[in-house]
Amino acid sequence: MTNQWKLKEIVLMSILGVVFGIIYLAFFLVGQVIQNILAPFGLAPFGYEIIFGIWFIVSIVAAYILRKPGVAFTAEVIAGITEVLLGTTAGPGLILSAAVQGAGAELAFALTKWKDYRLRVLIFSGMSAALISFVWHLFYAGNITLTPWLLVATLVVRVISGALLAGVLGKWISDQLAKTDVLRGYALGKELQKRRETGAA
Amino acid sequence: MKQEQRRPLLLIENFSFDYESLDQPIINRIQFSLNKNETTILMGSSGSGKSSLALCLNGLYPDAVEGVSSGEIYYRGKNIRDFKKGELNQEIGIVFQDPESQFCMITIEDELAFTLENIKTPPSEMARRISEVLKLVGMDGLQNRKIHELSGGQKQKIALASVLLLEPNMLILDEPTANLDPVSSLEFIQLIKCVQEKHQLAVLIIEHQADDWLDIVDRVLVMGRSGELIADGNVNSIFMEKKTLLEQEGVFLPKRFSNTADSFRNFNHRILPSEDVILTVKDMSFYRKKQIILNEINLNIRSGEFIAIIGENGAGKSTLLQLMAGLLTPFKGNIYFFDKPMEHWDQKELRKRMGYVFQNPEHQFITDTVLEELTFGLKLNGYSEKKINSTATKLMREFHLEKHRFSNPFSLSGGQKRRLSVATMVDETPDILFFDEPTFGQDARTTREFMNMIERLRESGTTIVFVTHDMDIVDITNRAIVLHKQNIVYNGEPEKLWQQEKILKKARLRLPYRIRNNHEEGAV
Amino acid sequence: MISSINPSIKAIAVLIPGILLSFTFDVFTPLSYFIFILFVTFTMGDISVIKWLKFFSPFFLVALSFAWMTILYTNQTFSYGEVMFTLWRFEITTGSILTGTSLALRSLCFVALSLLFALTTDSTKFMLSLMQQCKVPPKITYGILAGYRFLPLFQQELQILRQAHRIRGVGRTKGLKGKINQFRRYAIPLLANGIRKAERVAIAMESKGFTGDTDRTHYHQMTIEKKDWIFFSFIVGGFIIIVVFSYNLGYLNIFGKKV
Repeated sequence: MTNQWKLKEIVLMSILGVVFGIIYLAFFLVGQVIQNILAPFGLAPFGYEIIFGIWFIVSIVAAYILRKPGVAFTAEVIAGITEVLLGTTAGPGLILSAAVQGAGAELAFALTKWKDYRLRVLIFSGMSAALISFVWHLFYAGNITLTPWLLVATLVVRVISGALLAGVLGKWISDQLAKTDVLRGYALGKELQKRRETGAA
Repeated sequence: MKQEQRRPLLLIENFSFDYESLDQPIINRIQFSLNKNETTILMGSSGSGKSSLALCLNGLYPDAVEGVSSGEIYYRGKNIRDFKKGELNQEIGIVFQDPESQFCMITIEDELAFTLENIKTPPSEMARRISEVLKLVGMDGLQNRKIHELSGGQKQKIALASVLLLEPNMLILDEPTANLDPVSSLEFIQLIKCVQEKHQLAVLIIEHQADDWLDIVDRVLVMGRSGELIADGNVNSIFMEKKTLLEQEGVFLPKRFSNTADSFRNFNHRILPSEDVILTVKDMSFYRKKQIILNEINLNIRSGEFIAIIGENGAGKSTLLQLMAGLLTPFKGNIYFFDKPMEHWDQKELRKRMGYVFQNPEHQFITDTVLEELTFGLKLNGYSEKKINSTATKLMREFHLEKHRFSNPFSLSGGQKRRLSVATMVDETPDILFFDEPTFGQDARTTREFMNMIERLRESGTTIVFVTHDMDIVDITNRAIVLHKQNIVYNGEPEKLWQQEKILKKARLRLPYRIRNNHEEGAV
Repeated sequence: MISSINPSIKAIAVLIPGILLSFTFDVFTPLSYFIFILFVTFTMGDISVIKWLKFFSPFFLVALSFAWMTILYTNQTFSYGEVMFTLWRFEITTGSILTGTSLALRSLCFVALSLLFALTTDSTKFMLSLMQQCKVPPKITYGILAGYRFLPLFQQELQILRQAHRIRGVGRTKGLKGKINQFRRYAIPLLANGIRKAERVAIAMESKGFTGDTDRTHYHQMTIEKKDWIFFSFIVGGFIIIVVFSYNLGYLNIFGKKV
C-alpha cells in the first residue's frame, strides 16, 4: 500500500497531524468551556461530545485531498504518532485510539471503493468514525457503565458532530485550501484544475 | 573549456517540461550541455522554470509532480531514464533555497547519517565521514546541535555537507543564498569556491544576483520568460553584448556591467523629513524568557523620515520594530506615538495611523479575494459603499492588481503578494509604515517595483521604517540605526556609517556596492 | 534508566496493561496499579516530580469530573448496593460511587502510563525503533519525522499570525460564522505553508538518495536486549500479580460482575 504513496503525501499527512495537533489543543480548551457552561444544566457529559468530530478531521481532509485507499486510516494513525512525538500527555494509547477512529473513517471510503469523494461520503465517513469510536470508548473509557438514555443521547450528539465538524468542516477547509493553489500536485488540486479548464472552455 | 573533455557530463536535448500539459510548457525545448569541472550560472526572471529544470536534471521531475516532459537528458552518455531510483541523485547533488525545509532529522549528526544510510554506508564508517564533511564546511564538533536552532547560514552549510556526503560529480545550487544575510551569503559562496577547487566538481548555480559569484563562474545561461534558453556563453560576452535582451527579460545585470545599479540613489533624496517627532522610544528594555533582547533604547522618529534598522540576525531588529508598532509591550520604559503613550491609544485608531508589513505577506491575508482583502479594513471602519469601492479601485490601479481582483491572495506571484500586503496597509494613508525585511528573497524586478512604491508613499508624506539586510537600500535612507548586543551602536546618516569600520565589523555589515566599488572589490 | 529501554518494547509494555485495565470495574485493581506505576516512575524513570505534576494535574481534574459524571449517570448493572444519599433527582448508590472511582482511577493509570512513556522516550529513537523492530516502512517513519520537525516553525508562525490579525484590525469575532472564519484564518495559512514545506522537504530527501527502500544501513542500531524484556515483564507482570491479588481478596470486578 505504501508503495503507491509518494513521500510528499506521507509528509503531508504528518504535517496535517502537527497543524491539527495545535488546533486540537485549542479545541480541548473549547470543550472544557462548553462543559462548564453545560454543567449547571446537568448536561456536562455532552461537553466534549459536541466537538468530538474535530478529532476525525485529519482523516477526512487527507482522504479528500489524496484520494487513495488507506489514506483516511493512515493519516489518523500518523497524526496520532505525531501527537505522541509532540510530547504532550499522549502515550501509545492514543495511537490505538487513532487507529480505531481512522478505521471508522476509512470504512465509508471503502464502501464506495475509494471512488466517490462527494460531500455525502465525507459526512458518512465522519459519522462512521464517530460510531466506531463510540463503541471503542464504551470499553476503553468505561462508558458502558452509563445509563442507557445518556448513552443514546451522547451517541447521537457525537455522530452529528462527526458529520459536521469532520465531514462538512473538513471538506470546506480542503476546498478553501485548494483555492490557494498549493494543492496543484495532489488529486484534489488536479480535479479543481480540470474543472476550471472545462469551465473556461 | 579544456579540450580533453569531449563528452559532456550532462547533455540536454530538446527538453520540455510542464506540470500539466506541453501546450505552453514551463521549460520549452531547451538544448545545452554541462561539462566536468565547469561552473555555470543559470539566470532568468522569477517563474521562468529554473528550479523545475534543476529537478528535471537529477531525475526527480517529472515523476515527483506527475508532470509531463519530452526530449532527452543524458548523464555521461546514459539516458537518465535508465538510472535506477536514487542512483542519479548520488551523482548530482542539490542544495535548495529554503533553509527550513531541507531536513528530516532533529540533530546535525542524524541528518548527515540519514544521507549516509541512503547510500548504504557501513555504520562503522559513518562517524568518521560525518566529522570529515563537517570539518570541510567548518562545523566539526557541532554534531549534536539541533538543526532548527542553527542560523540560516549554518543550515545551508549543513545542507551542502549532506549533499557532499553523496560524493557527487555535479552540484546544483538553487538560489542557496536567497534567504541569508549578506555576510553569511558571502561566506557560503567562499565555501563553494573552496569545495569546487578541492573536489573538481561541475557546479550549476541558479541565481538572481550574479555579482558575488562572478569570479568563479565560467559560463552563463539565461532562460527567458517563455521557458526557452535565450543566452549561453561566457560572462563578458553575455553581460556586455546581450544587455538589452537581459533587461527586457527582467534579469538582474551584475552591478559591474550595469549603469543602472545606482538607480536606488535617485530615489527619495529630494524628500526631506520635517523636524516634528512622531514616535519616541524612551529608556525602553525588552526581555524574553528572562533574556535581555533590548536594553535601555532611546530613539526619536521624525515625520517623513526613511529609516533602516540593521544589524546581524538575533540583534533584536524585528523585536524593536514590533515594539514600535505596539505589537509587543516594553518591559521597561515607554513608547510615545504623537506624544501619547502607546498603551493609551485606542487599538482601532492606532491601526489606522500606523501600518506594519510582515516578512511573509501571506500572514496578513485574511479573506478569499484580492478585492475583499483591500476592502476589509474599510468595511471594518464603516465607510460608505461608494467610498470603499473608489478606494479599492484606486489601490488596485496603483498597485497593478486590477487583473487579479477576484484571485485568491495565496495564488498570486511573490511580487503581487508583496504589493497586495502593502496595499492593505495604505487604504487610509497611515502616518508611519513599518516593514520587516521587505526585499528578502525577492528578485530584481520585484525589488525595483517595491522601491518605486516606497518612493510614492514617501511623496505622500508617510514615514517609513525598514528592517533590512540590503545595504544598497540602507545607503539611500535618511538614517541608519545599527543594533548590536541589545543596544543601539550607531544612529545617524548612512554615509558616515560607511566610514566606521569597527562598527561595521562587529555588527557583521557589508558596505553597499557603491562604496565597495570605490575601494575596489570585496572589502568587508 | 527507563529512557534506555527500547521504545517499541516500552510502547507495547504500557499498552497491554492499558487495554486489560478496561475490563476491570473495581477500585482495588486500578488503585494498586496506579501506585505501582508511580513507584516505577519515580524510582526508575529519572523524571522530576514537578515536571510530572505539571503534566499530570490537569488530567487529575478531568478524571475527577469524569468520576462525578459517572456517579450521577451509572446504569442499573453498576448502581448496585444501597442508596447512600439523594442529590436533587439522582440516587447515589455505593455501586455507582465505586464504579465512578474505578473509572477515574483507570484513566489516571492511562495518564501515568502515557507519561511514563512520553517523558522517557526520544522521538527520533522511537521512530527508528518502529522502523527497525516493528518493520514500519522507512517512508512512513522518516516522513513523520520530517513533518514533526516543523512544530517549532508552526508555533512561531501561529504567533506571527496573531500579530498580523491585530494589525489588520481583526478583533474578537462574534457568532458561529465569525468563529468559523477565524478558524479558517489560522488554519489556511498554516496548512498552505505546511503543504509547500512538505513538498520541498520530500524533494530534498529524495535528492539525498532516499528511495523508501527498506534495504538501508542504520547509524543508530536499535536493539532488543535482556533489560528490555525485564522491563516488559515487570510492567505487565506487575499488572497480572495485582489482578491475582485482587481476585483472591475478592475485589476483582469485570464488567459489573464479581469474579
